[in-house]
Amino acid sequence: MSLLRISSRVIFSSNATALLFNQQKAAIHRFVRPTLFEIRARKKKLEELNGPPKPVPRSEFLEWNHDAEIYAFGKRLKEDFNFQLLQQAFIDRSYIVQEEMKQRSVGVENPLVNMSDNATLAKKGEELITEFVISFLNLSLPKFPREGVKAIYRHLVSDEVLAKVSESIGTKELILSSDYPPRSDVYVNTLKAIIGALFESSGEAKAYEFIRDFICTQLSQVDINEFWNYGENPKELLEEICKDKKLGEPEPRLIGQMGKNTLLAVSHVGIYANKKMLGSGFGEDIQTATEEAIKDSLRNFFKTNCNMKPFDFRMPVEKVANSLNKPVIAAASVDNI
Amino acid sequence: MNHSQFLVSGFLRAPIYNGIGRQINQLQRVTLKFCKSHGSSQGMRNFIENNLVDFAKQNDSVVLYVKPRRHRSPVIVAEYLNGDRKWMSCHNRPSEEILKWLSLLSLQAGDTEPIRYRKHWHTDVPSIQGPWNPFTHKNPGHIIAEYPHEGLGRVFKAPQSATEKLLKIAKKRNESENKKE
Repeated sequence: MSLLRISSRVIFSSNATALLFNQQKAAIHRFVRPTLFEIRARKKKLEELNGPPKPVPRSEFLEWNHDAEIYAFGKRLKEDFNFQLLQQAFIDRSYIVQEEMKQRSVGVENPLVNMSDNATLAKKGEELITEFVISFLNLSLPKFPREGVKAIYRHLVSDEVLAKVSESIGTKELILSSDYPPRSDVYVNTLKAIIGALFESSGEAKAYEFIRDFICTQLSQVDINEFWNYGENPKELLEEICKDKKLGEPEPRLIGQMGKNTLLAVSHVGIYANKKMLGSGFGEDIQTATEEAIKDSLRNFFKTNCNMKPFDFRMPVEKVANSLNKPVIAAASVDNI
Repeated sequence: MNHSQFLVSGFLRAPIYNGIGRQINQLQRVTLKFCKSHGSSQGMRNFIENNLVDFAKQNDSVVLYVKPRRHRSPVIVAEYLNGDRKWMSCHNRPSEEILKWLSLLSLQAGDTEPIRYRKHWHTDVPSIQGPWNPFTHKNPGHIIAEYPHEGLGRVFKAPQSATEKLLKIAKKRNESENKKE
């Protein structure tokens, strides 16, 4: 479109030269410039006094229909919501308090706000997110230790990630809260309440699909090894794993060295158990290389190395729901995360 | 014209990995502003009379507002999920053209300026084999080899020497003479 605009500008400028030579140029009135100057100066003065102007909520515009917006919100997500529940999902506690204060300030002694906030829906949504995300991760990374799964889970349900998801599906203008733009925890609460409302209106499977499509997909293009640093002592962890698998004692061996005593020195260390290579790593000295090699062997055991299979974001939710009934995975999701 | 001189370059991108899980329409609301009597809004009025309801039915994720105002030229304002707001003048535009512009706006992801794609794909995790080091793809057997090594020290594709060429020719000639006898 800007191309069009540029080309139109080119045409216009040729017209302008034509105008210059043949006809009189359309004049801008002499009062325009000083008026704009004055308006700008006054705006600047006001800003110095009161600070920068606050962002105006879209809902304060004349063309705003809250019900239509909520209807379109549901349709955008391709879900069938119960309208009342979806309405409720956008009401934050702070909004109700604010409304009550408003009524009190006018002189109403027993303020009556006929609204209920989204706390219960958000609680339900949070439960659904926890159980689904944990079992999704457990199914996707069957060999990854519990602590690692918990670390990834903590990243996924962190305020930054959930608030970003919430804002990106268009909750910003719909949220009823005391401040605008909404705080990040209000964004998060609203997203959870929307999931709770979806559970109440269309059932568990739809809610799980929503979580899979909007929350679990935030794991794409992310290095999952970043969230967990292999515990306190990766070497002990590797020794334990080798003991469990009866592979023998893991031992580091120098398998290559180049550019010794130079700036570009590199050592290559492999970890071997019973003459079988578990993994290898490199670094500027032997110690760093050994640490890297231990991490690489752990990644090979956990199946989370660089060329791991990507997450299956189209995993049927029934599979995850079924795994929730299995005691092993259910226990993992319940034990205090 | 060399477009790279004024087109901003960049990579393909999608908000919250749109399409990996579920594709959601990025256009969230449209305001159509027009005048009820002015000639420049004729096309917009025709659009509202004939096409607006169908458009709204087809795009139920978009909220449509119609805002009449006196003696001002018609305008489309499209708002997107990423907060972008696109303003478009529709002065003297026929209704068919307005429908086309609206269809285009409903497919876009924001007030998108055209960009020159540096690549036709994008990934945040460019490597699946880890960083390179001098030992990448080296045969581990070479670690225990003792040098000088006959096999490893061999010259690949050594050119034929003149002596070898002469010997080859002599051998051929001897063979052909033996056959004749």
